[in-house]
Amino acid sequence: MFPLQPKDIKKIRLSNGLTIMGLEYHKLPLAHITLMIKRGAERDPEGKEGLADLTAEMLTLGTEHRDSQRLALEMEKLGARYSASSGWDASFLEALGLSEDFKALTELLGDMLLRPIFAQHEMKQSQQRRISRLIQQRDQAEVIADEMIVQYLLTGTPYAHPTYGTISSLQEMREEDPKSFYLRHYCPKDTVVLAIGDLNFEEVREHIKGLLGEWKSEGASNDPLPTPVRPHGRRIIVVNRPDLTQSQIRLGSLGIERRDDRYIPFKVMNYIFGGGGFSSRLMQRVRAEKGYTYGITSSFKASHIAGPFVISTFTPTANTISVIEEILKLMEEFANGGIKTQELEEAKNYFIGSFPLKLETPGQMAREILELELYDIPFDYLSRYQEAVKGVTLEEINNLARSYLHPEDLIIVVVGRAEDFLEPLRNWGEVELIEYSEVTRVPPPSTPPNTHLPPGGHTVSPSPGGVLE
Amino acid sequence: MITMQEIRLDFQRDRLANGLKILTLEDHSHPIVSYQVHFATGSRNERPGITGISHLFEHMMFRGSKELGPEEFARIIQANGGTLNAFTTVDNTTYFENLPADKLELAIRLEAERLENLRLTQENLDTEREVVRSERKLRVVNSPFGLLIEQLFAIAFDQHPYQWPVIGWDHDLRRLTLDDCLEYYRRGYAPNNAVVVVIGDFRTEEALTLIEKYYGHLKPQAPIDAVPAQEKPQRGERRSIYKKVSQLEAFFAGFHVPGIRDPEIFPLLVLSHILSQGRSSRFYLRFVKTGKAVEAKVEAEPPPFWPMDPGLLQVYAIAAPGVKIGELEKEIWDAIDEIKEGEFEEAELAKAKRGLEASFVMGLQSIFFKGLAGGLYEIKAGDWGMVNKLLKGYEGVTKEDVQRVAQKYLSEDNRTVVTLKPISPQENELLGPME
Repeated sequence: MFPLQPKDIKKIRLSNGLTIMGLEYHKLPLAHITLMIKRGAERDPEGKEGLADLTAEMLTLGTEHRDSQRLALEMEKLGARYSASSGWDASFLEALGLSEDFKALTELLGDMLLRPIFAQHEMKQSQQRRISRLIQQRDQAEVIADEMIVQYLLTGTPYAHPTYGTISSLQEMREEDPKSFYLRHYCPKDTVVLAIGDLNFEEVREHIKGLLGEWKSEGASNDPLPTPVRPHGRRIIVVNRPDLTQSQIRLGSLGIERRDDRYIPFKVMNYIFGGGGFSSRLMQRVRAEKGYTYGITSSFKASHIAGPFVISTFTPTANTISVIEEILKLMEEFANGGIKTQELEEAKNYFIGSFPLKLETPGQMAREILELELYDIPFDYLSRYQEAVKGVTLEEINNLARSYLHPEDLIIVVVGRAEDFLEPLRNWGEVELIEYSEVTRVPPPSTPPNTHLPPGGHTVSPSPGGVLE
Repeated sequence: MITMQEIRLDFQRDRLANGLKILTLEDHSHPIVSYQVHFATGSRNERPGITGISHLFEHMMFRGSKELGPEEFARIIQANGGTLNAFTTVDNTTYFENLPADKLELAIRLEAERLENLRLTQENLDTEREVVRSERKLRVVNSPFGLLIEQLFAIAFDQHPYQWPVIGWDHDLRRLTLDDCLEYYRRGYAPNNAVVVVIGDFRTEEALTLIEKYYGHLKPQAPIDAVPAQEKPQRGERRSIYKKVSQLEAFFAGFHVPGIRDPEIFPLLVLSHILSQGRSSRFYLRFVKTGKAVEAKVEAEPPPFWPMDPGLLQVYAIAAPGVKIGELEKEIWDAIDEIKEGEFEEAELAKAKRGLEASFVMGLQSIFFKGLAGGLYEIKAGDWGMVNKLLKGYEGVTKEDVQRVAQKYLSEDNRTVVTLKPISPQENELLGPME
């Protein structure tokens, strides 16, 4: 099974454009089935952020043959787990169950995909559930910090909002919206079915063909995606929440696109800087040497566009300034001083050695394979990955560090008790202060030149005590 | 094709002369190996004054040894293609490395070395103490419900150590001394208080030889003290209110239930499943789908994660905006009363059993979790073999069993409830700091 060879991943395309893929896995009597539609939350219409994700859920909430309760019951009486959601660039309908139930599971998924009815009462309930969850989520400072840094970094692109939407955008949705999103974006030529499990591919193919082979839908053509603009200069946003004893801190810029040839070197660079746990410079300095935090990490999201490249941490309020200072210093050292050969070798050995750990379960394999399929990357990526990592050079990493780690060009977001760190923060640039309770009334960030307006601000503000107005 | 009924984990158990237990299970289907060291010590082995030491000590195990500098352990494992971590619970402290198959000896050697030669210094303790206090703020103080759940356990237990949180009280974290750590190390980190698990692509004979080579010379210690405290049966409901800044109202309840060795846990798990697992469950359809609650759940950790001593079966709900928490709570108890009255279908019972069985099989997808299943059962019940009795345990549950455990354990007298009352930031300031 390891390394995965491209020939192990069976793939055919039906005459209606639907792609069927399969990978046999015989260790356990399980079947993991994913339907991927290559359109996600970036297709949310302006003002209706979260629609792709809501549409995906609506597929599970009633078909011509089964109402929502019956769908849930038929799945769960098989002991299966299922989910439907939208991320960036794709939407997913998936199930994990016992392989003896493969036909029943795919029959249910196919019914959801082809015959959803978008019942009004289900739509209203889902809208309400989602709004309530977002209200509850507002107690989590880390979520607010994550949402804000992405919003500010990707302003002007359709990736600036949370995939699950905002309270106000959810309130804006109308009954017909999920259905029109479905008709516009769900079509066989952009849909991939992947089955991994204790299965025979010939049977999988014939069965899926029987279920989905007659599906006809053109789907609307996609508008081209705008390119995000990297921040120039520093912009500091403080969200004041006096009851917090710890600050949530984010510093971010943009990374690279998934199809970028430097994707693997970028991963290696990020590992050494902040993605590699205790092997990373951020963790080594800020946690191991200074004891300022339980965790600090850097991560990047590569999709059709260059997504956020963000340093995330939290620290007791009194350390807020010291932590930001250390991070800026580390960025500078990393970009100007370069990395050591030993750091590079260790990072490469990590990615080479741990590769089989990332391809152990059907779910893990599905994630890797679908990502390649989504971004049109040949499957031999999997068999050549370890060689590609081996080939990464010191110079490549140092070039990337110089190009992507600029302590002067950053968006900084701090959520915490502002009076304890506001003044010293001003030494690093202009600070915008926002009350936590008014996060909703944040005006949209100013628009960089040559891009269209970003989606509307955050969420509505509940009054103290948590009653929605 | 293998069927669910044929699934078995056949660990081999060996023991070194110094008492170290070893469980091995070969699986050559994928070129990886998981090495796990489970110590039979957790927050149940603490006492007031040193709460949180088990978890703080887990952090100290990464702070260097005779051979290694602070955090170098992690760096070396990762530089060899491994992933690693550790976790502390009420019952155990576990360290693990998941590695390429040819790196097993490295993990064995480094784990044995830090067990023998841990470098405990005041400086390391002071740094790590602050890291853990930051972790406490993250997980408990600034999280929406962390402090409520702490209060629930503190009220529900007045004898047993499950009354304090694994991460410890902040005042204890501030005062823990190097001597406390040394004492804890000596008692808890002895070969006769540990179970080593090796699972994956390796040869048993070679692994046993390596373990003997690196651990064989370690001296056993006097056995760790038994935990004498036994919680007396609760005689009447306990209730409390917790005020904090919050968007929504919520309640967290706990019912005393037996520990992992008791077969009663099977009907309790089935009961939990019927009530709240999945989108066809009673709680989901009645409370979450209809928009009364953001969440409504019965929290029961299936084995091997179920606690060793009698613990709490938790029931909690977060009310949707505009819904009164008192009314929601009452409706939840009504839903549980229906089970006590036997008002549920055989089909729901069958669905719950199938769901639990399928979850067990799904849990076996990674060698890491298979290893945990063996290791934690060995630590908590003294018998890894109980893992092979799980499917039968679920299968045997009847409708009467579910009804009986609902009546027996989910009673008002056996219940503790903490309710979250949202307050304004101004009122919050008046109530003083949280820690």
